[in-house]
Amino acid sequence: MARILIPTPLRQFTGKQDAVSAAGATVGEVLDALAAAYPDLRKQIFTADGALRSFVNVYLNDEDIRYLARSDTPAAGGDTISLVPSIAGGSAALAPPAAAEALTNDEILRYSRHLIIPEVGVEGQQKLKAAKVLLVGAGGLGAPLGLYLAAAGIGRIGIVDFDVVDVTNLQRQVIHSTRDVGRKKIDSAAEKMLAINPALRVTKHETALASGNALEILKDYDLVVDGTDNFPTRYLVNDACVLLGKPNVYGSIFRFEGQSTIFACPGGPCYRCLYPEPPPPGLVPSCAEGGVLGILPGTIGLIQATETVKLILGIGEPLVGRLLLYDALAMRFRELKLRRNPECPACGEHPTITRLIDYHEFCGVPSPRSAAPAQESGVNEGEIGVTELKAKLDRGDNFVLIDVREPQEYGICSIPGSKLMPLGELPKRIGELDRTADIVIHCKSGGRSARACGLLRQAGFARVRNLVGGILAWSDKVDPSVPKY
Amino acid sequence: MMHIAPDPWEAMVKHARETYPNECCGAMLGSIDGERKLVLAAMPLENAFDGAQAARYQLRPEDLLAADRAARQRKMDLIGIYHSHPDCDAYFSKTDLRNSCPWYSFVVLSIRNGEFHHANSWLPDADQTEAAKEELTY
Repeated sequence: MARILIPTPLRQFTGKQDAVSAAGATVGEVLDALAAAYPDLRKQIFTADGALRSFVNVYLNDEDIRYLARSDTPAAGGDTISLVPSIAGGSAALAPPAAAEALTNDEILRYSRHLIIPEVGVEGQQKLKAAKVLLVGAGGLGAPLGLYLAAAGIGRIGIVDFDVVDVTNLQRQVIHSTRDVGRKKIDSAAEKMLAINPALRVTKHETALASGNALEILKDYDLVVDGTDNFPTRYLVNDACVLLGKPNVYGSIFRFEGQSTIFACPGGPCYRCLYPEPPPPGLVPSCAEGGVLGILPGTIGLIQATETVKLILGIGEPLVGRLLLYDALAMRFRELKLRRNPECPACGEHPTITRLIDYHEFCGVPSPRSAAPAQESGVNEGEIGVTELKAKLDRGDNFVLIDVREPQEYGICSIPGSKLMPLGELPKRIGELDRTADIVIHCKSGGRSARACGLLRQAGFARVRNLVGGILAWSDKVDPSVPKY
Repeated sequence: MMHIAPDPWEAMVKHARETYPNECCGAMLGSIDGERKLVLAAMPLENAFDGAQAARYQLRPEDLLAADRAARQRKMDLIGIYHSHPDCDAYFSKTDLRNSCPWYSFVVLSIRNGEFHHANSWLPDADQTEAAKEELTY
């Protein structure tokens, strides 16, 4: 028989008694007897599986039973058992900068609309000035982020990008102009940001973020804004942020829909809590394959910029543990709760990701280095080049040419004589095709058609070839009158 | 709803300002009548977090046990925990939520530039997935 002290909020379950006695030879038996006598109290102390809830510590007199014999600790008549919750927490705000640099008179004038907001003030503007933000990608999301963060007075902005401005970028990447086509995105972006704010210090990281350089690049920044469009880099940015303890302000876009949240904030979830494994390669189309409303990255990028500025200022409620979903067609925002997964391989209690891995292998996609030579060297087994296809067509060979793009792409341009069978419809339309026929499959640049070839070969088609480089290569090497998109 | 009497309120603000730029933490003792809570005494406790304390705090269970004992001796109840958020709003962060317990009220004091700014009281739910704001007066 031991006496159990009941914490105030739990006395409603014990008939207002502040202490009750229960029988048992060990602490475990006493607690079981207590739970049996007061069933409503049980779920306050035990989980559905009968284990003590994670925040409950049990003390026998002055000793934590974890350091005695846990629930087997003997309990005698004169003993007192206390239930003590473990409590901790914290703002999880960014560490304040060591010494705030004073604002110049020019800066006071420039940021006057910030300075008169009570939540920002001089002190907040100094925090922005002292902040170091890394933008991963100077594309669709990076464009509004770069422009607005530069204007807001962030002191240092790093940009990671190795791409060149393409004319198809201009529909959404508003940081680049028509005259920038062919320039490095990093140069074009830095120029626009410095035009807005000459005091900004821009660091250009002209490289592909990879396992070998990510920690070195990220370590000097307070937080990271992920504006990437591919899974390997997303996992890489996530893991690097978790390892370094830096918040990762995340955004993603597709057609008319976007998402945003903050990952890797202390106590909050990370990208792997949401998606432990990447989707099968090719299942989720990229913006180049699926398209994107040009305005969409503006909306999502600016949500990321807002969260970045809030984190630096320490104001409001950060978008941690909440995934914000935006549907431009319905013009609706929704929110999903995200929970940190205690079993998460990156940020869980027992992480298995303790260093950066090969993210291309993890996502099942070829790394950029290994993919490039294949395109240059031309045609491998199971493939056909565009000039050979042209010759085949000119000779009048008996074969089937299948276009696995979407109807709206077919409407833009097509190769004469091709049959449209969008990749998504292929499995159910496979009966339309002759298994013994000579078949050539093409898409825009060769990715989807490669998957279609694999699908047909699995179904027993023996003579299937993939058109290397797709209709883009056709336009380059055979018929320049075919428009590229 | 929770009301904090002038003496304990002054003690909590003083504790939070003195600990700035680090987080402070402590226990609140008083009386409960249904959902009406009255804080009559504040008991500053040591922030036992092992690491940078500017954005984290941790209570020792032994200290909480002592606070509960002190409450019983003074015929009061342990009704809540307070802590500060230096240079940050008084929201209930994910770290707060994850390391809380559904038994108590959690008062957060926002301290900006060393001075008290605002405060909120929070009630974590049973699964620690959400915290509801509790009406707070002082």
